[in-house]
Amino acid sequence: MRKNLFEELKVAEFAWVIVGPSTSRYLAEHGATVIKIESHVRPETLRYLSPYPEGKPGLNKSMYYGKFNSNKYSISLNLSHPKGIEIAWKLIMWCDIMTESFTPEVMGKWGLDYDNVSKFRSDIIYLSTCMQGKTGPRSRVPGYGTMLTGLAGFDEITGWPDRSPSPPWDAYTDAICPRFNVAGVLAALEYRRRTGKGQWVEQSQYESSLHFAAPLIMDYFSNNRVATRKGNRLDYASPHGIFPCLGDDRWIALAVFNDEQWKSLCHAMGQPAWCLDAKFATLCDRKKNEDELESSLAEWTSPLTAPEIESILQKAGIPCNMVEKAQDLFEDEQLKHRKFFTWLEHSENGLVPYEPQSTYIMSKTPREICRPSPCLGEHNEYVLKEILGYADEDISNFIADGVIMF
Amino acid sequence: MSNSCREQPAALESYRILDLTEYGCLIGPRTLADLGADVIKIEPPGGSRSRIGPYYKDIADREKSLFWFAYCMNKRGITLNLETADGQNIFKRLVKTADAVVESFTPGYLSDLGLGYDDLVRIKPDIIMTSITPFGQTGPKAHYQGCDLTAWASGGVLYICGDADRPPVWISFPQAGLFGGMDAANATIAAIYYRGLTSEGQYIDLSLQECAISPTLRTTVMWALNRYEHKRAGLALVEPTTHIRFRMSLRCKDGNIVIYMLGSTAPFTNSMDNLIAWMDEEGMAPDWLKNINWTTDYDATRISQEFIDRVENAIERFILTKTKNELYEESIKRRILIAPMQNAKEIADDPQLLYRDFWLEMEHPELHDTLTYVGPSIKLMETPIRFRRRAPLIGEHNQEVYAELGLSRHEIIALKEGRII
Repeated sequence: MRKNLFEELKVAEFAWVIVGPSTSRYLAEHGATVIKIESHVRPETLRYLSPYPEGKPGLNKSMYYGKFNSNKYSISLNLSHPKGIEIAWKLIMWCDIMTESFTPEVMGKWGLDYDNVSKFRSDIIYLSTCMQGKTGPRSRVPGYGTMLTGLAGFDEITGWPDRSPSPPWDAYTDAICPRFNVAGVLAALEYRRRTGKGQWVEQSQYESSLHFAAPLIMDYFSNNRVATRKGNRLDYASPHGIFPCLGDDRWIALAVFNDEQWKSLCHAMGQPAWCLDAKFATLCDRKKNEDELESSLAEWTSPLTAPEIESILQKAGIPCNMVEKAQDLFEDEQLKHRKFFTWLEHSENGLVPYEPQSTYIMSKTPREICRPSPCLGEHNEYVLKEILGYADEDISNFIADGVIMF
Repeated sequence: MSNSCREQPAALESYRILDLTEYGCLIGPRTLADLGADVIKIEPPGGSRSRIGPYYKDIADREKSLFWFAYCMNKRGITLNLETADGQNIFKRLVKTADAVVESFTPGYLSDLGLGYDDLVRIKPDIIMTSITPFGQTGPKAHYQGCDLTAWASGGVLYICGDADRPPVWISFPQAGLFGGMDAANATIAAIYYRGLTSEGQYIDLSLQECAISPTLRTTVMWALNRYEHKRAGLALVEPTTHIRFRMSLRCKDGNIVIYMLGSTAPFTNSMDNLIAWMDEEGMAPDWLKNINWTTDYDATRISQEFIDRVENAIERFILTKTKNELYEESIKRRILIAPMQNAKEIADDPQLLYRDFWLEMEHPELHDTLTYVGPSIKLMETPIRFRRRAPLIGEHNQEVYAELGLSRHEIIALKEGRII
């Protein structure tokens, strides 16, 4: 009887930062053995980014790194050393899936590009993900998701029509891209299960991301319309927005998609005189008078707390939810019910929370976070001895030569 | 389908998926169809409510929905009224031929029709069912009414986006359903793989709230570790313990750009060196700015907001003299971390996408036109994504699919007249 979905699956992760490591999280949360090949010569960028406990930086302190790497193993390998490459090859021969997220020339420089690897491992699934793809005039442009969020048009369509964009927080496309990668990798895995054949899966993060706004781009091609930001409004609903509530920076999101819901909303609000006005009777009317509608509605929401409004309007069948802050998520009863956060003891950081990348629970093979994110090179000995079969003497030599670092 | 596009195999060919999702969730089955699965989109008679705008040539017609075109390409389409006994029987017959059902109804809706997972397992023991809902199938909020905006609010991403002096703001194109759809696709492929190894199906319970936590990236851990609640403040990077703030967007001559103005580590430090060198060439880098060692003097945990503002203001003065395009082109050459905020037109004209032949032309015989689509989301070299058909018209494949199921012409006509299909 299998315990985990991917219990025999082995992943060698050369990828770093967010997109690649998020992709393998789906696998790690479902039982795969994922070994991160990190470097003590040039440590992973995320290890330098906050938050750290008590704000004190350190290579093993960043929980930005931690968030994307629970359940994984880490080795620190100097790939500029020939013996580092030798160990990398052993891992390549060991794994089912390898991932990398460098600009195009990097893996080739080490001789670890797909063309070379596939000569020895025709059954390997090799994922390459980089910002703009492996070919083309901008293939070598380095970058992060925050830049791609601008390039791919999300900044332009976020914010208020009377102002400059107010872009989505941080590296937004880094949340999108892993999802296409994992679709590609899992489909390739399923194909390999049937045929024994591996393949190269290549992502341009730019191209994947455009699918999250595809109709707007088609709108440009078909109608010459350049989509822009509309605050919180939606063409086919009204009201549709975020309204102030009692408390410190407290808000409620609510939406009305049809006239029946509008009547329920009016009833739930106690039929204030303004909402019975004919100028709000139909969706078209409400759209026409949306400014006024929104300010009247805000007058009703302002003296109430968000949970009070949630309770009143949910009973009336109106889609609504308080705008949850980070603290609220940790106190959210629904997330507790689904055991969303898992608190684990990290050797340097104490008890810290981990979140699943998989947003779903599979009835027979549920997600599970059972080991904290690794310290840099934490599993050097385990991986080199137990998995790759090196002797103690080899390992001493690797340390002396600066190939690995403890 | 011509034989020529059959040359290369597809990763998920031979699997059949029944698609009962709506809105953004449609992207999930679309992705399965891209990867080769036979995806049958089931709509109520008269057509799905997801046939929304924008519309082809701005003609508000259910058969001209660009939203539908984008997220239902490669699928076949049938109509079926699941709220009738005949409709339910036909659905069960379809389930017998299918590998997975992906749905986004409110919890309990399908069970009330006798079409829940427990019912379907009795008909097909190894069926896979993936359900997308605002909060999951069980729990205190499972029966909440929700939509994309409320899902975005429930996951914490909404709170951190927007301007400080206005309400939080979403992205002006609904995103939560797209996340849900993609994760549903991934879970479904994973379950197909598991079934291949064990012959067992399973049920998958997906939460859009959890999808909307994903783009918060690090704000949850900032709260957990530092009791720092990140507040919306445009595009900026805030150090959670000292609360100092680095701006990440600047206005330029003709628009806005994203820019990294950080220190401590490569590649941020190199980018700063390269940027200051460029400013210096144009006589816009004062000596104090040139003397900063970005590795040692610009550590986020040790510098003051005043110092950061001084640096950023000096850079801003330079950026304001350049256009988006000048900044992007020169940043590529000089390896500076700058990117323009592009709009749909600029994306359509992007030389990188043109070079990669990304845009896809697809014929729409019913419109007597060829439409331009966003190209493949990902490249699988051995089993490439293929574009086999445009999105289905309402009931376009009724005859084909119901005939495959063994329904006679008479039965199909009767069902049509009974408004079941």
